[in-house]
Amino acid sequence: MKYGLFIVRRIARGIFTIWFAITLTFLLLRLLPSDPASAVGGERLTVQAREILLSQFGLDQPLIVQYEKYLWQLLHGNLGISFAQGTSVTDALMSRLPWTLLLTGTALAVTLVIGVPLGVLAASRIGGVTDGVIQMIGVVGQSTFIPSIGIFLLYMFGLVFNWFPIGGAQTEGVYGWAWYLSVLQHLVLPATSLVILQLGPYLLMMRASMIDALGEDYCTLAHANGLPYKRILWKHALRNALLPTTTLTGLQLGALVGGAVLTETVFAYPGVGRAVFEAVTQLDYPMLQGAFVLLAAAVVAANMITDIVYEFLDPRVATV
Amino acid sequence: MLIMKRTHGMLATAVAAASMLTIAACAPSAPTANSTTSGGGATLNIATQADIVNYNPMVGNSRTDDWVNDLMYPRLLTINSDGVKSPQLATKWGYTDPTHGYYDIVTGMKWSDGVPLTAKDVAYTFNATKKDKPAGTLIGQMSNFESATAVSATKIEITLSKPDSTVIPEVGFWANIVPEHIFAKVGNVGTFANNKGWVSAGPYRLVSAVRGQSYTMDLVKPYPLVPGGVPGPKQVVFKVYPDVNSEILALRQGAVDIIAEALPPTQVKVLQNTSGITVEKIPGLGYDHLVYNMARKPLDQLAVRKALSETVDYQTILNSVLLGQATPTNGNPIMPALKAFYEPLTPYKYDPADAKKILLAAGYKEDSSGNFPKLTFNLIYSLQNAVQSEWVGIIQKEAAKAGITIKLQGLQRNSWLADANNGDFDIYVGNFAVMDDPTTNMSLTYLLGGIINYSHVNDPKLSALIEQASQTTDVSKQTSLVQQAARMVHDNVYDNVMYTQNLYIAHRSLWSGFVVEPSELLSIVNPVSLASAKESAK
Repeated sequence: MKYGLFIVRRIARGIFTIWFAITLTFLLLRLLPSDPASAVGGERLTVQAREILLSQFGLDQPLIVQYEKYLWQLLHGNLGISFAQGTSVTDALMSRLPWTLLLTGTALAVTLVIGVPLGVLAASRIGGVTDGVIQMIGVVGQSTFIPSIGIFLLYMFGLVFNWFPIGGAQTEGVYGWAWYLSVLQHLVLPATSLVILQLGPYLLMMRASMIDALGEDYCTLAHANGLPYKRILWKHALRNALLPTTTLTGLQLGALVGGAVLTETVFAYPGVGRAVFEAVTQLDYPMLQGAFVLLAAAVVAANMITDIVYEFLDPRVATV
Repeated sequence: MLIMKRTHGMLATAVAAASMLTIAACAPSAPTANSTTSGGGATLNIATQADIVNYNPMVGNSRTDDWVNDLMYPRLLTINSDGVKSPQLATKWGYTDPTHGYYDIVTGMKWSDGVPLTAKDVAYTFNATKKDKPAGTLIGQMSNFESATAVSATKIEITLSKPDSTVIPEVGFWANIVPEHIFAKVGNVGTFANNKGWVSAGPYRLVSAVRGQSYTMDLVKPYPLVPGGVPGPKQVVFKVYPDVNSEILALRQGAVDIIAEALPPTQVKVLQNTSGITVEKIPGLGYDHLVYNMARKPLDQLAVRKALSETVDYQTILNSVLLGQATPTNGNPIMPALKAFYEPLTPYKYDPADAKKILLAAGYKEDSSGNFPKLTFNLIYSLQNAVQSEWVGIIQKEAAKAGITIKLQGLQRNSWLADANNGDFDIYVGNFAVMDDPTTNMSLTYLLGGIINYSHVNDPKLSALIEQASQTTDVSKQTSLVQQAARMVHDNVYDNVMYTQNLYIAHRSLWSGFVVEPSELLSIVNPVSLASAKESAK
């Protein structure tokens, strides 16, 4: 019952957050000092054609009417029609979402698989050469500008060594297992970019948490009781040290999606991030609103999952 | 503890299963054999920086839209390397009297579904555009167009509401002819997405569109506009690379055969010296310019505009920023590529000291630091234009030498466009990509109420010249009139047209046979060029 109430409260909070994000996005877009009709029609748009476009887009109506229509559409699961493409926003986004999920999911998994053990290793060798090297990796990764590392990876591993394809997410004209292999080949470089960008925070957070945990009384006691150091490290200290890292995972999801915008652009990867970038340049309100609904829902859902996982790791959370 | 382990295991299994299902859903199935694409050629891969925005050629406004749509929906006219309108679908065109014109079109063209392409398709395209006013370049050329009638299978007669010599060549160039039997079913052509089941008149037909990735086009035959009637490459695939550096790496790796966009100036020499890459020079039909907003004081004074024009260090901009890859236009709005109309004009000089003298003579007072307090201007430019973003700093620095303060305001493209349309600027930096017809372009740019009259010119003498030019069908008279108008624009600094950028398009050297046409719009990715391309043995 306690856990049920906890989950219901988290879901209610998530719905409120999504509504707030939707409303804010709706209003912010309409505050932009630009004209969606000109963005679609270009420089030589006649006054008459502009009026026709604004009417087609529903932008000639009062703001409150536009907002009511938009919420009503959303409640019916309809994200609207793209200004620029004249096609369903839901279809456009759904065709791209799997690629973003694949890219960010892979990057997150690899980051955790590398970042957590390296953080533990650094904490266990505090002050040593290994610790120094691992910290340096973390700081350098955090300071890296994605397009630079992206072009470097493409140049080295795409052009010079010819190990990986340059751009795209799949090879045209291949099917079956060859297609899966091509997807994997196309995924390596963009995912590596995101891992390099994301590794720093996880690694440094894990290191700091482990140092704190290893200084706790229960670890000292375990040590005094003669438990092997590896067991103290991996079984006792790690579980408590994982709590801040779990929180970080939820918080970093937004940044991961943000990083995906640039990564998808440099690597010509066809995800939602790039669709957002294109929609911004085209002032495509429905597409932008749809993408933000999707991203807000994804981040809220991920945070809810984080909260639930956190609760499993530390049952005291459910009582808060 | 055991429960937690099980829960973690279930969660991991669920995530893995969801990922597998998601990706499995994306896996394409092998196609069935396609009999419409038989042909012996290879696949020509073209890199482009943007996706197709709109598949409807009557609405499409992005460059990729144009390139892809041009391969399916033919233009009546194209522009040859001398800047002269030349035949494409039309074989003959002209005027029978000042308010009536005509086009004769080729015989033997068919849509890919077997329906013949006739004059009825052409008439339908024009009339539907006039009726539904889809957003696009074409409708702007049709203000004096009244109706089109197919008088035979190959002849279209045009009726104008008043004499206008620009309609036949301009509409002939800017209209993509669409199939009436498809488009007439949709009602309003302005809102038709046309995003599946494409029907094409060739040389290629879109068969697969994967947003964010690629657009695959199979050949269409017969295509009577190339010798032999069959396009060379069996397939054309547009691959999307939003970043120019990735595009260039893809070309060098061989993942693509052509980069459709013009190269940035800094990459031209690099690629010219890269083995296996050929760089084609394409004449520019557009210009970069500085517009002084004459609706705002004191830019309505010739002395101020003249002084401003003398503070621009044209040579440094051409040499340092454009690396010599541009032709100075000297304030002339007629492009050198349009050989029939072009007449060189005296360049504006670069002399900040003289600019200062002009301002002092006009009664402006310097302050103790040598600046003119009343001459402070904001200059807007698009941050998306890398070349202009680089040289606006030179404009600011040189103007300061003449005591003029310029405040730079770099804007996101849509905000910049909105400010330009609203006249919310003192000086505007911009460019027009295709200025193919001087009379039409001057009407749009320098007549009161013109769509792109950003300088707010309102000069009755200039207007009279442009209107006379647009009414005469006598080419030599029209040439003389637009040349006089260009001189007026130059002498009055109505528009500081600085240069036309020479465009460079890179392709792999193993491909040849391209037909070069001016502008980035046509370049070597025009339909006849791609259909004429040949791949040599690797």
